[in-house]
Amino acid sequence: MPEHDRLMRVFWPIDIPRSDAPGVIVGWRNSSLDVVVIAVLDHVDPRNVENALKAGILLRSAPHPVPRIFELCGQSSMHVLGTTNREFDIEPDSSWVRAIVCPSQRVPEITCPRASSIQIVLFERPIPLRMQYISLNPIALSLADKEDHSLYHASDSSEAEEEKQERRNKQKRRLLVNKLKSHSVIKHSPSLKDRALERIVNQINWAWELERLLQKNVPLIGTRPKRTLSVSERVVEQATNMRDYILLWIWDMAILYAFPIIRRAFVLLLLGHRCAAEALLLILEWRARPSSPALKDVSATAQQVEIRLQQFCYWPMQYVKLRLRKNDWASVTTSHPDYIRFYNSLWLVANDVIIGIALGSYIIDNAEWVADTISMLLGSYTIDLLRTSISWLMGWPAGLKLNSELALFLGDLFLWVIDYWSSCIGTLEPLLPHMVWFIGFSSFAGASMPIALFSDLLSVLTIHIYSFYLASARIFHWQLTILLSLFQLFRGKKYNVLRNRVDACDYDLDQLLVGTILFTLLFFLLPTVVVFYLNFALARMVIISFKAVFDTLLSCLNHFPLFALMLRGKDPRRLPGGIRFELRDTPYRLSIHSTSPLPFLSQPTSVIYLKPIPLAFTAMFHQYFQMGSRIRKHYLSPRVLFCLVTGRFVPPIHRKALYSLQYSMLPARRAGIMEMWEALNSLPAKKRPVNVHPYAFASSMSLDGRRHMNGRAGRGMSKEYD
Amino acid sequence: MLTTAPYLRIRRPSPTTAEFIVSTLPPQTLPARLALGAVYLVRLQLALAVLLMMYAAQSPYYSAVPLQPLLLPSTKALATDAYANSSTSASTAAAPSPIDVLATTPIFSLAFIRQILNILLSSRLGSLLSKLANSIPPWVLIPCSVITLYFLSLRIGAEERLLVLRGLGVQTSSSGATVFSPLKTRFIPTEKIQDILINEAFRGFEVRHYLIVVVEGEEHIVVVFPRLLPRPRMVEKVWKGARECLYGRDGEDEKDGGRHREDGTV
Repeated sequence: MPEHDRLMRVFWPIDIPRSDAPGVIVGWRNSSLDVVVIAVLDHVDPRNVENALKAGILLRSAPHPVPRIFELCGQSSMHVLGTTNREFDIEPDSSWVRAIVCPSQRVPEITCPRASSIQIVLFERPIPLRMQYISLNPIALSLADKEDHSLYHASDSSEAEEEKQERRNKQKRRLLVNKLKSHSVIKHSPSLKDRALERIVNQINWAWELERLLQKNVPLIGTRPKRTLSVSERVVEQATNMRDYILLWIWDMAILYAFPIIRRAFVLLLLGHRCAAEALLLILEWRARPSSPALKDVSATAQQVEIRLQQFCYWPMQYVKLRLRKNDWASVTTSHPDYIRFYNSLWLVANDVIIGIALGSYIIDNAEWVADTISMLLGSYTIDLLRTSISWLMGWPAGLKLNSELALFLGDLFLWVIDYWSSCIGTLEPLLPHMVWFIGFSSFAGASMPIALFSDLLSVLTIHIYSFYLASARIFHWQLTILLSLFQLFRGKKYNVLRNRVDACDYDLDQLLVGTILFTLLFFLLPTVVVFYLNFALARMVIISFKAVFDTLLSCLNHFPLFALMLRGKDPRRLPGGIRFELRDTPYRLSIHSTSPLPFLSQPTSVIYLKPIPLAFTAMFHQYFQMGSRIRKHYLSPRVLFCLVTGRFVPPIHRKALYSLQYSMLPARRAGIMEMWEALNSLPAKKRPVNVHPYAFASSMSLDGRRHMNGRAGRGMSKEYD
Repeated sequence: MLTTAPYLRIRRPSPTTAEFIVSTLPPQTLPARLALGAVYLVRLQLALAVLLMMYAAQSPYYSAVPLQPLLLPSTKALATDAYANSSTSASTAAAPSPIDVLATTPIFSLAFIRQILNILLSSRLGSLLSKLANSIPPWVLIPCSVITLYFLSLRIGAEERLLVLRGLGVQTSSSGATVFSPLKTRFIPTEKIQDILINEAFRGFEVRHYLIVVVEGEEHIVVVFPRLLPRPRMVEKVWKGARECLYGRDGEDEKDGGRHREDGTV
């Protein structure tokens, strides 16, 4: 669409210094009437500025490569966009903007001869040194791209069924959307202004850094060259800065001699660690057959160890990526999510270790007591309670008249197994303090380790309940299926397997008689089996819920978005969740132009504020909601209830499906050893800060302080930025 | 009384920018503002009373115990606690007036807040509240008061906006349900807008017309004014205005393009 609507759009940073002096507006021109203002340079001539921009004088002494600016901002050069506070004597271009700014008013008064209406979009510049930025889409806190693939490989039939259902729904929705698309009558082709939005967002992100650079270089095109220092001034300067020079010299020596050795040793250490991790990971991921579960799918501890190892493998890569960020402009925002992810996982591990040390020292100090409590709990709940409940069921529980012979038989069977199991536990009991001591010791690797170990211990020590549940469920299920088929016989029908339906069938008299007798028998025996089944199913459910609590704890320790939450509280602009616009009332002086003598100034103007939206809390905990809904779908579905009622085995939810949450911070494929080696070696060598000159210490103090305030101080690596 | 039927307000400082506001709050005259402020004030007081009741339920012995002067804020607070636990039937003769106690306590401390709460509880209304709180079992009281607090924090009236900016896109926004919930906004760039149209759907036993924005590459459509769902006449006005503002004059030619589509439900 051509620009026939003559709409002038000006993006104006609201926080640039305002002055009464005549100045030149410099910025990006995205199309002839669509501009983004970067800076207002005071006391210079527009022609000089234009020439300087063409020659690149204004971008001199840039700390990083200049072409990168143009590449990311999507324009080949900056332009003079107009003038401020100047008389209307020069008129080189009709699309130039005239602005009237003064320190007292926030909104500039803007006119443009070629435009028929004006949109002033005011924005507050994000400060790249504080890692603030704006974006159209919410920042992604997790590496979300691999989720879909990992889920489709779930071997469970139930998983596959749910997946199928979901996919079918998606297909349906896609069809609907396509149908809707065919309803659109006219496709409006987006204009240049519409398409510029992405670029403009980038330009806004760059505005702060570019403005600083431009203002720094303004004296180069001005008329006042800087006076050099006199001899006496230089002497004073030398004297005051002697200490700094000495410090610098020591620093230089350290960088030159000590640092390479330390660095080399550290890299070798990392590499050795990586090799060990690789070996362990291979063991953890080994499967006998492609379909059989690996060790990490079975045990919580193995999974925990695997997650930690994967994190250790990923950190060097992340760190290298973040280090390379420093060799680039601060306005490049692509690595900010990585930064948050990296420090979030570091912080979580540190937290984990701190809590673990507290927990571990407690457990080690009280190993005897803890072991006693555990064995007491085990004895009283998994053995004695079970025993009493079975003997209760063997009598007439709650006045229910069961078949006492069958109840006696089943009860004796289970009691005998329990006796055997309790003797096993008895032999294991002297070992328990050692085990507890070991668990306590393991918690120095993080509080998640003892939790995972306890979870595994729970499943090992209650294996008898699991087997009781399996056995009773199987008996109950057999009985139920026999009853159902005998019921069909009772009705004179028969289930046809081939057709998957119930057919009429002529039975002989003896068949009918025996079938009916059997049906009656089994029917009267059913309540006895049911109560035993219910008893063990209940016990199993209790254990599953305990494990669920442990797993929730684990996922909180491993995945909680702590760093993101802290950032959200401290500086919400570092977690952009999109942008919004706010229409402001047009100031009185802009709507009626009593002061301006020129006729074309009667341009209707709208003042709009562009504001960033901080990331919503629901988006931060999105993964948890997803996990919750997955668990709900799996366990609270009618299918599970049906399985429970008919005594069929309730398949536990696949670990991989449940804990995709924990893996969402890790890449799908870990980097190999050689890759890591190359990445570590590709790190640029530590340089002495280049542009340190004595004045920089004092003048950049406030700036540095601010920079350290915004989270870089908490990273534990005291490497200087520039 | 404080709210009206949804009505439309249009702000249009320039032909390329328009904001359509559907609101149930009447135009803000001075009496209306005063009434609204008074209602919120009453609600705030009620909420504070409910909070005080919860506090009283949490510490049933505070109301029965005489106030003690505090020597050191930290140690003395513990001491009063211990004292309160040991003997709830202490004599009130020797106790100084609560105001004196308050004057001796440092302002920025937990003890000061506790003293103020105690004074509030010992007043007539406070004692009534604490009596009420102690007569209701906590498992009834706490959910009830949380629900009450939620209802007290509900916003009076609703306001939903559609901001149309030529060259940028459209933005829907609607005020949150409670006073604390933030403004919900959704910005859709022009590139992503596939269509803006009026749809109709059954809702209960009525047919509602509503404005939707079809976003490219998304499975869900965006409903404009989702809570208020204004009358068709208003919706039509907004639809025309939005198209004209977004696409200029050529948006007018297909005036009836958007009307005759009748698929989908809410």
